[in-house]
Amino acid sequence: MRDDLHVLTGSYVLDAISDGEREEFERHLQACLSCDAEVRGLRETAARLALARTVAPPARMEQRVLAATYQTRQLPPVAGDHLRTARERRRVQAERVFAPRPAYWPPRPASWPRRLAVAAAAASVAAAVSLGVAQLSTQHQLDTVRASGAEIARVVTAPDAHVATARTGARGSVTVVTSAALRESVVSATGMAALAAGRVYQVWVMSPAGARSAGLLTGTQLLASAVAPGDRIGITVEPAGGTTRPTTTPVAVLST
Amino acid sequence: MSRPERRHALHSEPDQEPDLSALLAQVARGDHRAFELVYGELAGPVYGVVRQVLRDPAQSEEVAQEVLLEIWRTASRFDPDRGSAAAWALTIAHRRAVDRVRTESASSRREQKAAPDLVHEQDVAEVVTTSLECQRVRRCLDSLTELQRESIKLAYYRGYSYPQVAQLLGVALGTVKTRIRDGLIRMRDCMEVTW
Repeated sequence: MRDDLHVLTGSYVLDAISDGEREEFERHLQACLSCDAEVRGLRETAARLALARTVAPPARMEQRVLAATYQTRQLPPVAGDHLRTARERRRVQAERVFAPRPAYWPPRPASWPRRLAVAAAAASVAAAVSLGVAQLSTQHQLDTVRASGAEIARVVTAPDAHVATARTGARGSVTVVTSAALRESVVSATGMAALAAGRVYQVWVMSPAGARSAGLLTGTQLLASAVAPGDRIGITVEPAGGTTRPTTTPVAVLST
Repeated sequence: MSRPERRHALHSEPDQEPDLSALLAQVARGDHRAFELVYGELAGPVYGVVRQVLRDPAQSEEVAQEVLLEIWRTASRFDPDRGSAAAWALTIAHRRAVDRVRTESASSRREQKAAPDLVHEQDVAEVVTTSLECQRVRRCLDSLTELQRESIKLAYYRGYSYPQVAQLLGVALGTVKTRIRDGLIRMRDCMEVTW
């Protein structure tokens, strides 16, 4: 390992080197396993620096990008990389194994990918999760809010009340009424499938930092507080008593 | 009731992101719907980091669009064994932004268009400052030496090369290279980044 090159790992992942140095360093990387390992770790670190600067893009951007994908040919996979192919096969198999039965998991309503994308008022929780941010998520916080009727009425009748409704992956539908001014959301569910013993529906306030429990959906309504602009409400199936962070794919995700 | 349990946990693999990785594999097969989801997840971070470097909103929008389209185009080249999907995408985003800065300063257009620091204040307001991730990054940045912190911020958030950073901070080239590296290593450990 050449020390003068190795010390460039940091500058390399921050794109702070010239094109010439980058080429030289990348050649060096192919032969230097320890540099390569270090670069990976530092690259994940730089990604955190980026994530901390998440900004909602202009809404018009989405349609432009999506439209452009229909006119852009994709690169083929790198040929001959059978490791990748084997891995890809395993992943596809895994997807099949995990694929829900249609009867239980109806196709997503067409609106939900859009809702996800449009609600990109920040990064979605998945992006945060992808960086392992869920580990940073708030500590055990299962204060099931026993909202009084008056509190719920206050949100629902707020002048700025915003309503979102979606069918859920567990039948039925969920409605989220949010008052940005009050920073509260009322989550109401109807017709959702009864769960097996030992399972509960848990409601989450999802932000770029991860998911924070808003409590268990034991009745039909629940009040989520400290809802920030761009947060979304998600519902997952969890073991009785709830968990500190989601462990299953949400049956519903709604914008606030 | 014996309804099948959906065990596709969001966090089944602590170091990986099954969702985004799997989505990118679908995107590589030309799945536009999967790409919409990828867009939903990555547009904010991509736009945010590009905007951080470029500052100019119109230019940032243009570059962020290019980056997101690049993610569509090159999804087949993403290798989950070489890092997280987000890191892959944000590497593309940051490099594109920096390329734009360097091209512009070469033609000195950037100096003319240089936005005043007032814009910076606005940026800060738009950034999701409440996020825990933000707080964590800030706390870890604070744990660095001033030279480490300034070197990393100037390089990553301003898009400066290490020689430019050395000049701005009035220190030797070798010092900056070393401080960027050991500062990032400290950040990595402070943030408990796994890879």
